[in-house]
Amino acid sequence: MTSPIVTELCSTASPWLALVLGLQRLMTWRGFNLRGGGQLLVAGGVALAVLLIPVERVAVARWISGINANFSVSLLAALIVAVCERAFARTWFSSRDWDACWIFGAVGGLALYPLALGLSRFDPYEWGWHVSPLFAIMAVLTGWLLWKQIRFGFVLLLAAAAFQLHLLESTNYWDYLLDPIYVLVSFVVLIRRPLSARAARRVPQGTP
Amino acid sequence: MVRTATRGFLILLAVALNAWPLFDRDRPARLVVAARAQSTAAAPFFEDETLNPDSPHAMSHVASIAELFGGGLAAVWYAGSREGAGDVAIYFSVQPSDDTRWSPPRAIVTRATATRDLRRYVRKVGNPVLFSDADGRLWLIYVTVSIGGWSGSSLNVTMSDNEGRTWTRSRRLTLSPFLNLSELVKNAPAALSDGGWAVPIYHEFVATFPEVLWLHRRSGEVVATKSRMSAGWYGYQPAITPIDTARALALLRDDDPPRTVSIARSEDAGRTWSAPQRIELPNPDSGLDAIRMTDGRLLLAFNDSPGGRENLRLAMSADEGRTWSRVATLAEERGGDFSYPFLMQARSGDVHLVYTWQRTQIRHVTFNTRWLDEHSGGSLR
Repeated sequence: MTSPIVTELCSTASPWLALVLGLQRLMTWRGFNLRGGGQLLVAGGVALAVLLIPVERVAVARWISGINANFSVSLLAALIVAVCERAFARTWFSSRDWDACWIFGAVGGLALYPLALGLSRFDPYEWGWHVSPLFAIMAVLTGWLLWKQIRFGFVLLLAAAAFQLHLLESTNYWDYLLDPIYVLVSFVVLIRRPLSARAARRVPQGTP
Repeated sequence: MVRTATRGFLILLAVALNAWPLFDRDRPARLVVAARAQSTAAAPFFEDETLNPDSPHAMSHVASIAELFGGGLAAVWYAGSREGAGDVAIYFSVQPSDDTRWSPPRAIVTRATATRDLRRYVRKVGNPVLFSDADGRLWLIYVTVSIGGWSGSSLNVTMSDNEGRTWTRSRRLTLSPFLNLSELVKNAPAALSDGGWAVPIYHEFVATFPEVLWLHRRSGEVVATKSRMSAGWYGYQPAITPIDTARALALLRDDDPPRTVSIARSEDAGRTWSAPQRIELPNPDSGLDAIRMTDGRLLLAFNDSPGGRENLRLAMSADEGRTWSRVATLAEERGGDFSYPFLMQARSGDVHLVYTWQRTQIRHVTFNTRWLDEHSGGSLR
């Protein structure tokens, strides 16, 4: 069993990175022209300070843990990539890497949540604890993504490793792959994309 | 991007990591059925007492009782200004084997201690279930809520190796993929042949359904998984009663009309269950409990009404739950509230039952099977 300190750090990493990403966007919007390590240092420091603010004598980070202590490795990796791409102005994930990330989140969420919340007698969440088709599916999917050189395959590989190391409070494989925030963001991205494309097509030609 | 050899290695690594559970398989455990015991008293007896007569709290609710290694008893319940209030704590009391008095109730889990132990914000604490293992260790599973009402509950576990004097740091059990929401407990677990427990639990978020929490202690750590008992149609708050090492019944609370007790059956030590079937006994959407006594008969404590908790009755079945006969009334009063019974048969054969009395006190009744036999002719106490 992993130390509670490690699991606590892992559960706090995603909210911290989400705050860092939000602060990066805010800095850009406000014209605060800081890049690279300096931007990460400032945004990371402010985000950490926010998470440590006590509310009713409980740190904000622990309030977030009260709501969700198991943010998936997929979300964590997506946030790391997004934060670093923004800080260093480099592309780590191509559009097809991001596509794989969001499609996995949406399809996985559809496969898991309705059934796990009681839609049928079959509970796919049980598959995350024992030898089950989930492990075979993930082995094939991860292998295929790696073979096709889609970098989201690395993320799934890291999720499998994190599961074996029990880095999260949860002992269920699903929780290393998916979480409700990641699934929600995946759906929002996938739904917004065609809507944005349609809106772009509606813009009359010749418009400056 | 990546050389073929590296890709091959990474793919092999992915396969190896995902194949690891193949080497970590557990043998399916059987249910443990208690050996036949004879009550120490030859004559029928029935005793009734209050565990918290001097309670300063406006509300006391959801009690459970366990037998200590040395033969005494221990009980837990929650109490505070009202159900779900921030001042609600889980109280613990013991009755040593050489004493007839219960110790003054002592808070063992509060909102503050749960927040500290679980390293997260806890808004309220709720249902506790206490049980003891073969090593004399006491286990306490209890509910905490961080957001929302009871459907936002999570389960936590703590243990005591010294009959409740001190407790280990509580650990949160992750049992649901959706923010770990809505896992609750009410009744006692069934012991397993591998030293583990099949704990009846239930889910209340979006849909209501019963589940089994499989609890083990390996290398000093608690290992928890769960399986579904039925889908979210009806029946929750299960009471699991083993019939033999493979077969078990689960009696279920009902929140939908026509509001009757339902029974699901398992033939494989609780791993899979039949669809719940309604029986003739009513259930006013209230907690119930059932045990298999060491003589093989099933004993059920329930509110015998489709609409309220104004009585608390016992019923017995001698044919593995197919037919039931009402045996005795433990409490009955117009406008009363007698609820959340919890049954336990001690090694002596005596049956202990704790329940919520008028939402303000926890009552403890003790009787032997001879007292039940005396009433099984049909007359109500």
